[in-house]
Amino acid sequence: MAAISSDVIRGYNDTMILYLLLEDPSYGYEISKRIRTLSEEKYIIKETTLYSAFTRMEKNGYIESYFETAENGKRRTYYRITDAGRNYYREKCEEWNLTKDVVERFISENNLVPSKGE
Amino acid sequence: MEVIKNYLESMFANLPNTPEILRAKQELFSMMEDKYTELISEGKTDNEAVGTVIAEFGNLDELSETLGIKNMMQAPVPSDRRNISHDEAFDFIRENEKHTFMVGLSVFLFITCCVGPIIGGLDVFGGSKASDMIGIVYLFTSIATGVGILIYSGSMMKKWDYIKDFPCFIDYATADAVYTADCDDRSTRALRLTIGIILCILCFVPAAVFGALSDNNFLTEGMGPVFLFVMLGIGVMLIIISGSRHDGCQKLLALNDRATVSGNYQGMGTPAPKFSDPTVDVVMSVYWPTITCLYLIWSFISFDWHITWIIWPIAGIIHGVVKRIYGTENR
Repeated sequence: MAAISSDVIRGYNDTMILYLLLEDPSYGYEISKRIRTLSEEKYIIKETTLYSAFTRMEKNGYIESYFETAENGKRRTYYRITDAGRNYYREKCEEWNLTKDVVERFISENNLVPSKGE
Repeated sequence: MEVIKNYLESMFANLPNTPEILRAKQELFSMMEDKYTELISEGKTDNEAVGTVIAEFGNLDELSETLGIKNMMQAPVPSDRRNISHDEAFDFIRENEKHTFMVGLSVFLFITCCVGPIIGGLDVFGGSKASDMIGIVYLFTSIATGVGILIYSGSMMKKWDYIKDFPCFIDYATADAVYTADCDDRSTRALRLTIGIILCILCFVPAAVFGALSDNNFLTEGMGPVFLFVMLGIGVMLIIISGSRHDGCQKLLALNDRATVSGNYQGMGTPAPKFSDPTVDVVMSVYWPTITCLYLIWSFISFDWHITWIIWPIAGIIHGVVKRIYGTENR
């Protein structure tokens, strides 16, 4: 069964996180859970990947963090998207459309392309 | 949940002790905790939940760039530090306690050795040579036993010298257990110390009471001093053994390198030094007990209670000045 290549998906972790933050601010575990459900369990983001994306994007000014205490009394770091983050998200979407457009031209559904010299 | 905490702590143990890294650890723990709680509420067993959380944790290498710890990641886990296992740690604490008890016992013997000649020289025994001799024999036997105990116990502790001599470390689970053991001991320690100090302060009371109420030579010359030395002996012994567990625990908790995350386990025990100069720090740690002793000695010798209180404001001012010059808090 095919699995997602972490090299390929790496460039789009930011896009996924920013997409989830477009509507409402959120926190680490909720974001990872929504990525899992939205991808129908096809992609499970690692905690370390998620955290490094947060710190990187915060440094770049795409998101801001703040503390909030949850109903059960647990203090969590929430993240909200900034205007720079929205712009960056739009750029990433355009970039993906272009990438997808290019790569798809080379994807063959039926194995018609003969393999050379096996 | 303990397993997850231990796993995370051991992953971070050798990383530098910086705010960024501590924050990363805290955030990662928070996420893992949320995930674990949810898995449990979905009906997973503890093992399954822990397994999933750890499997989906990822790799710390991913954080190296964002945290600026690239070099640390490539450096292998320092192998020159010797790990102290859980059992070893508790053996050490137990034997250290035993050793401290032995020291306390021998000090008790040293203090009370003169009880022999005091009783032996009493008139009730007719001041005979035989009773004098038994008293003297008791004195030397006490001293010899005390010295013997000290030498024996000291050499038994030799095998733990490596804890002082070699760089060692303890892992998070052990540090946590040691810290708990230390906390559990807190009330016992306080009780022993309090009773010990009270006995030391009150030791002269029987002698004073006997002296005031009775002309009986047996009480004034015999029992009074005997009570004094025995109470003093028990008091000093209690003070010595009060810190027996605490010392061992603190020694273990202080093993980890303060520059790394693992150094924070120590933070569970001892606060950072209050004074920048280590000598000053040591001197100041016994400052108030010393002042108390000076106050009591001066007061009891001179009986000038109306004037001796002056020692407290003076001591307070000196303390303030030293804190101002060497203190680490207000920097």
